[in-house]
Amino acid sequence: MPYTGPPRAMLRLFRWYCHPRLADHIEGDLIEVHREWISKHGQGMANFRLAVELILLFRPGIIRPWQSPQFINTYSMYKSFIIVAWRNFQKSKGYSSINIFGLAIALTACMLIVLYVRHELSFDRFNEKADRIYRVNNEIKFGDNHIDVAAAGASFASTAKAEFPQIEAVTRIRWAGSLLVNVGDERVRQQNVGFADSTLFDVFTLSIVAGNAKTALNEPNTIVLTESIARKFFGTTDVLGKTLNIDDNKTRKVTAVIKDIPSNSHFRFECFIPLVDDDRANEDLWAGAQNYATYLLLRPDADPYALAVELNKMMDRHVGPELKMIINKTIEEFRGQGDFFLASLTALPDIHLHSNRLGELYGTGKIEYVYMFSAIAVFILIIAVINFMNLATARSAKRAREVGVRKVLGSVKSSLIQQFILESVLTCALAMIIALALTAIMLPQFNILTGKSFEVDVLYSPSMIASFAALVLVVGLLSGSYPAFYLSAFQPVAVLKGGSGSVRRSMMRNTLVVFQFVASVTLIAGTIVIYRQMDYIRKRDLGFDREQILIINNGRQVGNRIEPLKNSLLSVTGVRNVTVSGFLPVSYQRSNNTLFQSPTLDITGAMSVQEWRVDDQYLKTMGMHIAEGRDFSKEIASDSSAVILNESAARFLGGSGMIGKKLYTPNDATGKSVRELTVVGIVKDFNFSTLRQQVAPLTLVYGKDQSSIVLKLDAGDITALMSSVEAKWKSIVPELPFEYSFMDADYDRQYEGERQAGTLFTVFAALSIIISCMGLFGLATFMAEQRTKEIGIRKVLGASVYGITSLLSRDFLRLVVLAVAIATPLAWYLIAKWLEGFAYRIDVSWWVFPVAGFIALMIACATVSYQSIRAAIANPVNSLRTE
Amino acid sequence: MKKYQLGEFEEIVILTIAILYKEAYGVAIKNEIEGRLSRKVSMGAMHTALVRLETKGYIISVDGEATEERMGRPRKYYQITALGKRAMEHAKETRDELWGAIPKIALKLKITG
Repeated sequence: MPYTGPPRAMLRLFRWYCHPRLADHIEGDLIEVHREWISKHGQGMANFRLAVELILLFRPGIIRPWQSPQFINTYSMYKSFIIVAWRNFQKSKGYSSINIFGLAIALTACMLIVLYVRHELSFDRFNEKADRIYRVNNEIKFGDNHIDVAAAGASFASTAKAEFPQIEAVTRIRWAGSLLVNVGDERVRQQNVGFADSTLFDVFTLSIVAGNAKTALNEPNTIVLTESIARKFFGTTDVLGKTLNIDDNKTRKVTAVIKDIPSNSHFRFECFIPLVDDDRANEDLWAGAQNYATYLLLRPDADPYALAVELNKMMDRHVGPELKMIINKTIEEFRGQGDFFLASLTALPDIHLHSNRLGELYGTGKIEYVYMFSAIAVFILIIAVINFMNLATARSAKRAREVGVRKVLGSVKSSLIQQFILESVLTCALAMIIALALTAIMLPQFNILTGKSFEVDVLYSPSMIASFAALVLVVGLLSGSYPAFYLSAFQPVAVLKGGSGSVRRSMMRNTLVVFQFVASVTLIAGTIVIYRQMDYIRKRDLGFDREQILIINNGRQVGNRIEPLKNSLLSVTGVRNVTVSGFLPVSYQRSNNTLFQSPTLDITGAMSVQEWRVDDQYLKTMGMHIAEGRDFSKEIASDSSAVILNESAARFLGGSGMIGKKLYTPNDATGKSVRELTVVGIVKDFNFSTLRQQVAPLTLVYGKDQSSIVLKLDAGDITALMSSVEAKWKSIVPELPFEYSFMDADYDRQYEGERQAGTLFTVFAALSIIISCMGLFGLATFMAEQRTKEIGIRKVLGASVYGITSLLSRDFLRLVVLAVAIATPLAWYLIAKWLEGFAYRIDVSWWVFPVAGFIALMIACATVSYQSIRAAIANPVNSLRTE
Repeated sequence: MKKYQLGEFEEIVILTIAILYKEAYGVAIKNEIEGRLSRKVSMGAMHTALVRLETKGYIISVDGEATEERMGRPRKYYQITALGKRAMEHAKETRDELWGAIPKIALKLKITG
């Protein structure tokens, strides 16, 4: 039997660990002895002895060093990649800058959106126990009334804590309105004051700077300040034990100073006063009023779903007797009519984006905006990536020869792919550096647009840097991958033979251009519609007059000087009307009541309504119109029990013949004494919440609420008028600050969120179009360059400038037209979805889409024609001379 | 002092190379040592010694012919350099000097003891 050598696996093992310089002849020696052993001892023994030799050979001096000599080769390969990338960049500065700046703009947009989205998603997560904190919601339905409030009755918290061991702590928060604080000789109005239970700090992570968290909110007439408020009032944060003079007659002792509440908290109070100061905080009310934002801290092992079920049983036990007392129905009968009274839990981190109930402490965000802006960021990034791909493949002819030479010299496809991907990652990294600078510059503007307050240093936090690095890698890989495969697939024979280097029409490239413009047209159409809807909201007849209406605050402190003040304000020329009421169509002073149609308070036909206390000048001042009946009058004594309904309330109660109808409402929680109200008039519907909702039933009663004084002014010299109004104010209540706002400004503020979103949307739409056009410009330039000779010959043969321009533009414009056709239904769908959020909205007009398409087409035309015309008017002598 | 470094096994290998003269390659050296000294020599130990001798400059190697017997792998023949020769001489002289310095009595004691 001929000798076949030692087992291959053994030799392979040896070659794997042996130093390449020694491998050959030692292997030879091994084979020689192995052959000898076989003839002496046989195959098995020979193999065994060889194995022993292999083990003994595995020693320093023979095995391969750790740094393989091949390392040096790849190092120089990568060095060459980088050098070539740099030379390519220098050779075609134009295209490279289009790539880099396009990517930089896209990355900037992306980073800003990432900041925004991260901030939105981070709400309340700074609380150490965030995953165990739940807020209680009450959902109530009776008759045709259905409300879902982000609050519970006063005794919900304490009862739940007592009944369920799986609840570790509870706390309640409630708006306390504002305080008028004496600071030196001045009075300063402090907004953002919250009532809170003493357990506030057990549940929420609010870091205490001074004072004791356990006792800070125990005593009446105390106050907890944030650092910036402490500084505002005392000039220092060392204020423990000092007292604040409030509302002229009260003092509050500072028991703790806390750090400012982060901007990503769902409540951003600036001071807290103890709930023991709130008389109603200990009322045993369940069905009657839901005024307290109630938070439960569960034990780590507690199951919130199981607890929610238990909490509902608890609600039934307490709501039942109360219902019995007021409407004389048991909870079962109540349920039998399809009515209910439910408690639900919202996890703390979900409050900001996923809960938009009545009575949220502060306005909440919208998950839709988070999705929308994330989508836009991805869109913009894709557009920039497409630019990169298109330019890289279009210009592939320039690189084809390099690829050919590299392949002939032994480069394999995988290392060529590596080369192009490395190039795109480098480009992307360069773009990222520019983008970081751009972002830092844009940040103040962005803060104004979004109403957030980002500092530049958030960009340099480790997590952000990590995500930016990830972004560079992803975008680099994405934009490099297609060109890399495309370019590395060239056949060296074909490209080195010296072809014309003309580029094939690429299906892929066209698809990508179409995609870019679909995105652009959609964004343009979206922008148009958002602006029209905003305009509609601004201009809509709301049923009241919001122009020239001045709202003065601090009415409550005026006390019984209100009548002289009113009269003296009326005496100012230019003041047409004065009314005193805090219930305004734009502000948040609201009061709910339930009206019954029978004195026995039968629940059928009961109506949950807004009940606003106003005076006889209210409708006149606000420019609201009486549809039927009459306004309140000072002369008619019985008007103290009169009520004016709005049209929605009248419709709810059955429509016509409402004047003179009697309505009933319980005077207190026991339901024993009943107040009778007589309808004297019906006011035309006016919007008093946002236009996202239909006008709800509302009643006006003749009563006293003097938190605001509202003036209807004549148009004219507002500044002069304001100073005379202020002079009157100072003459009667010199100690109170003159604080005012205009109703139209207050109204616009309600749509701040939409306006911000609209502006952001426009900015990003513009960006996406700019980036798309940069790409198109690059492509057009390149195509014109490619066809220089063709154009020269055509011109010599008599082609006109117009003919050549249209020849060059036609291809691109066809793509844009196709994009418009695709974008129209897509945009239509998305826009309709957005508008659904408004109860009062514009119709999506058909012309929006052609207009958006036309705009995109015009921009594309302008971009492409610059190059086309330049190519067309060039002298053919120049292009044909060199051969 | 440390002018010429030559370990015990290295000395054996370089001496064997000298014996084999023109025919000194891996397997031949191994067989020669095993035959003369009746001790097992592993491929690993021997090649490590050869690598060390070569890096010290005591021997040089020349690639030989590739034979069928070795399935095409070349032989590597070793030759002693001038430096190697001096190192061998140095080793021998040191030994002789030491031998000469031993008092006769010591050896006798050794023998009787």
